[in-house]
Amino acid sequence: MQDKITYILDGKIETIEFNQENKPTNTVLNYLRKTPCHKGVKEGCAEGDCGACTVVLTELNQDNKLLYKAIDSCLVFLPMLQGKQLITVENLASKNGDEENLHPVQDALVKANGSQCGFCTPGIVMSMFSLYKNENNPSKERVEDSLTGNLCRCTGYKPIIEATIQSCVNNGADHFSTDEKKIAEMLLEIKNSSESIEIKTENQQYFQPLTKIEALNLKEKYVDAIVTNGATDVALRVTKRHELLTQIIDLSHVQELKKNVISEYLIKFGAGTSLEDVKQISQKELPALHDLLAVFGSKQIREIGTIGGNIGSSSPISDTLPLLMVYNAEIKLQDAKSDRIVNMNDYVITYRQTAKKPNELITKIIIPRPNPKAQIKFYKISKRKDLDISTASAAFLLLLNGNLVEEIKIAYGGMAAVTKRVIKAENFLIGKPWDRNIIEQAMEIIGAEFTPLSDARSGAEFRTIVSKNLLLKFWNETQI
Amino acid sequence: MKLSNSFPHDSAKKHVSGQSIYIDDMQINAQLLHGKVVYSKQAHAKITAIDFSEAKKLKGVHAILTYKDIPGENQMGPVIHDEPCLAENEVICVGQAIVLIAAESEEIALEAEKLIQISYEPLEAILDLRTAIEKNALLGAPRTMQRGDVVSGLKNSKHIIKGELETGAQEHWYLETHICLSIPGEGNEMTAYSGTQHPSETQAIISEVLGIPKNEVVVEIRRMGGAFGGKETQANWLAAWSSLLARATKRPVKLRLFRDDDQIMTGKRHPYLIDYVVGFDNNGKISALNVTQNADGGCVTDLSFAILERAMLHADNAYFIPDILVTGKAYKTNLPSNTAFRGFGGPQGVAGIESIMDKIARFLKKDAAEVRKINFYGIDKDNITHYGQEVELNRIHLIYDQLMESSDYKNRRLAINEFNAKNEFYKKGLAMTPVKFGISFTTTFLNQAGSLVHVYTDGTVLVNHGGTEMGQGLNTKITQIAALELGIDFDKIKVNATNTSKVANTSATAASAGTDLNGMAVKVAIDSIKKNLSDFLASHFNKENSDEKSKAENIIFQNNEIIDSKNSDRKIAFAQAAQLGYLNQIHLSANGFYKTPNIGWDKATGWGKPFNYYAYGMCVSEVLLDTLTGFYKNLRTDILHDCGDSINDGLDIGQVEGAYIQGVGWCTTEECKRNAKGELLNHSPDTYKIPSVQDIPMDFRTSLLQNVPNPNAIRKSKAVAEPPFMHGLATWLAIKDAVSAVRNHEFEPEFKIPATNEVILLSIEKLRK
Repeated sequence: MQDKITYILDGKIETIEFNQENKPTNTVLNYLRKTPCHKGVKEGCAEGDCGACTVVLTELNQDNKLLYKAIDSCLVFLPMLQGKQLITVENLASKNGDEENLHPVQDALVKANGSQCGFCTPGIVMSMFSLYKNENNPSKERVEDSLTGNLCRCTGYKPIIEATIQSCVNNGADHFSTDEKKIAEMLLEIKNSSESIEIKTENQQYFQPLTKIEALNLKEKYVDAIVTNGATDVALRVTKRHELLTQIIDLSHVQELKKNVISEYLIKFGAGTSLEDVKQISQKELPALHDLLAVFGSKQIREIGTIGGNIGSSSPISDTLPLLMVYNAEIKLQDAKSDRIVNMNDYVITYRQTAKKPNELITKIIIPRPNPKAQIKFYKISKRKDLDISTASAAFLLLLNGNLVEEIKIAYGGMAAVTKRVIKAENFLIGKPWDRNIIEQAMEIIGAEFTPLSDARSGAEFRTIVSKNLLLKFWNETQI
Repeated sequence: MKLSNSFPHDSAKKHVSGQSIYIDDMQINAQLLHGKVVYSKQAHAKITAIDFSEAKKLKGVHAILTYKDIPGENQMGPVIHDEPCLAENEVICVGQAIVLIAAESEEIALEAEKLIQISYEPLEAILDLRTAIEKNALLGAPRTMQRGDVVSGLKNSKHIIKGELETGAQEHWYLETHICLSIPGEGNEMTAYSGTQHPSETQAIISEVLGIPKNEVVVEIRRMGGAFGGKETQANWLAAWSSLLARATKRPVKLRLFRDDDQIMTGKRHPYLIDYVVGFDNNGKISALNVTQNADGGCVTDLSFAILERAMLHADNAYFIPDILVTGKAYKTNLPSNTAFRGFGGPQGVAGIESIMDKIARFLKKDAAEVRKINFYGIDKDNITHYGQEVELNRIHLIYDQLMESSDYKNRRLAINEFNAKNEFYKKGLAMTPVKFGISFTTTFLNQAGSLVHVYTDGTVLVNHGGTEMGQGLNTKITQIAALELGIDFDKIKVNATNTSKVANTSATAASAGTDLNGMAVKVAIDSIKKNLSDFLASHFNKENSDEKSKAENIIFQNNEIIDSKNSDRKIAFAQAAQLGYLNQIHLSANGFYKTPNIGWDKATGWGKPFNYYAYGMCVSEVLLDTLTGFYKNLRTDILHDCGDSINDGLDIGQVEGAYIQGVGWCTTEECKRNAKGELLNHSPDTYKIPSVQDIPMDFRTSLLQNVPNPNAIRKSKAVAEPPFMHGLATWLAIKDAVSAVRNHEFEPEFKIPATNEVILLSIEKLRK
């Protein structure tokens, strides 16, 4: 058991201790600006929507190779840095004596006029840098995906896209590549000596277990503790609501929860799998889930947010829940002594209330491989297409026999206090021809099913119209 | 010589390496305290009690101030004194400052805030513009501008359309929120590092609230992380508050707004309701227009009347309208005071007339670009605006011809018609909109600027001017101007942080005029230094050669040398000349002053020449709309914009593209909703959606109009910042065109700004019924 963390900053192994002043719920952003004075890292929103605070974390993969991930440092609690290398905008230029040589991504951004006021720029540079390290000659689509989490109010983005395309051409070669071996050894050294973390200050307890059984025992003992993994949601309680979180169990270092199994009949995701990893795996296996994740948050959010965390938050505007419902997915709930399987359709009970007991953790998400003949789609409606929260969403699964509906599943998010299947419309459609006039009748059933809310995102009338339209859209897209 | 170069932004290398210092990044000693503003949760109420006894006891709290603790005047209204610095007995909007806290950390200040109890007795509140209009809650007297006889003009018109356009509030969403760091000096001295576009006014407000003379106050700003007008007057608030706290505690105080507080407390782009009656003939030529612009000013005056004035001055956009009456009214609501935002009323004024053009075209079943063309101001006739200014050097026809050709407008229109005929659920739309934008502050005396330039003995140059850098590249252009005028390298010039003790009594960096005014003032100072050096060197050369051949008027500055152009062997390196000049007691510093010549108008009659010149541009935009979801894709956008002889192509194109995207945001996804209590619902980027990288045109083509020198500004260039904002309207009307295609353009769709997917879908739903 250790009560401090060890990580790499500026190429050196550093240790952080915690106390009343430096809380374990302090964010990496606040720490960086205050203590090592990495003031290039900016706060634009403190909620993971603007990306001005983007930094890169590197960690070892299973083959002890380095992975570079851009993340929003405003949403990461300090202990999550344990065993990782943190790279900020200050580290990118290489020093040759007194001379500073800009990193290729920095140089390209300067030449393309990619900065105006410059406040978003450090974050943009870091997103470009992570892409530079991970992909060579990325497509425009990949570039845009990597930059979606970085808002710029000045440029109109075009020069930033151009600079990224122009610079990501060296197979990731830079001074970090030169030092890779050394850093990997340092990370391995930290890894080999690291233990579970238990941080206690006067009014906070922060646990970072390394194994699943440790985590389950902690949850048994501290049933009210907040469970987090990427903290993309929980951190907002600190940064926005200024709450003092007294007990936290941080699952980010439990490797067992990140294991995935892809078999003939099932796809099993460990609950701690990042949404970015889920996105990559599902590209081939579950295209609708991939499409969903393509418009889910930003790359920075998906790199640390997990599928288990998203299900755990059980939000009525959750994007994953409606799709998992039509997939007929199951989740594994586990406590220290036993485990059980719950179908996604039985998981959410009422607003933010689920079948999960306080001493349980979500450990697995099991998706039965859909019938290859089934047509599955997910649609998300939001004010802005990308990096926005759903105003409404819908998932559909359709199996036709000739032109007759053999099986259909319809689930909506954002239309009620919980994500919800529309069984009435499903029953109406089963056995009927998949025709426009039948669809229009089903649209009326859907319209009658919900009494949506008006809120900051949209009025109720819009939600009603669009929820009906989405069935028509699905019908249209299932026409050959 | 035309200096069309793409020097990168002078801070670009610092930006990309995280070395640029913003106010929050400044290194301050451990005495620094952190400020916090406690603001009203009520839109309109009496304050019955404020209890901060518990908060005061909290360890680490150094000061808690209310209006009673203001040593000077409790005022921070920039134009009209109707804006208390801290609320007294009444609050007039949610977000109005009531109490100030200074504590040893932001965390302690937050704790203290939670312990402060404010009791209210609610009063009746006006929470939207329509209610304000109903109650005739005017902020001041209505204004009119007119030409001809609109009554008979309308009576004699072949066709009449009446209508209304609603435009929404827009949050500036500068990446860096409002901030000020105030450091007390000896006696009454106060230095404020303020994120302000208007340091002189910030200095004045600090001096007023502290009750000290202006010569005790210094305001400095190196750079802002974006401003867009949001820091023109409302940055004064933070500066006043942090200075009050610094004065009370005798310690440095930093006050920065958290993003949500910034969005809740500060003003937005003014929402407008524009009512009009327009008369036109069978070709769509407008004969008469009666338009009333109603603005939601918010709870105090701020800049609402100057903004309204600019909206009225742009009610014509690029079109000649023979009989016209423009009425402007600003209303008072219990919302945070709306304020300057790129375009400054221009976008609302232009949106009104562009919406009218669009309706006329649909009514007559004509292509809207054709209707626009026949209404453009003429070159030699029909070229006087409704406020009496001649539209000189009219580039709109030139731009139209080039852009319609380069964008292949006509063929794409045909292709779109074909696409729409074949597709039920997806529709494409296309639109062209022009912009003509008047350059100058319409409050004429503001068109002045100062500078202070030093040449040091090593040949390096320090330039001070009154403009502020907020990302637009002003300091880069100033550096280029200075380098070119002195004939020395770019890297020999440094532009200082803007400081009121270096250049005094300046105007805001606003109205797109930063380079025009300050660039000219810098040139004036440099001319004066050059004259000193030329006089000296002419005699120096003559002395060395024992003749009288060198004359001061023949001395030129180029390639880091100072040369007698008539005797080219007589030359000296610039740095050497500086050193030699110093040894010979030559003054190597100068200040410069510039005022825009030949402008002036009568605000009472609304007639004269308010503008130095006009900037022009045009945009063609095409979208693909999913009529089942309201989502649209910006397929292709072509912009041709007039920057005169651009001083810096790269910066100017960046301004044009950035302004356009910001305009698209205003027109589409940026929505400010309020609940029945007047609270802003979209107070963070979670629900307030500015364009992301995914929202720009798939095919985005921006060009600057070539070979069009502007005789009226520094180095024949043209102001840029604001005019291209209005190109966003082309995308807005392209979406409307796609909506209209749902019923084959037979009906006029309901539409407004912003056209969110909600507005789009509800409009389609009505068309389908």
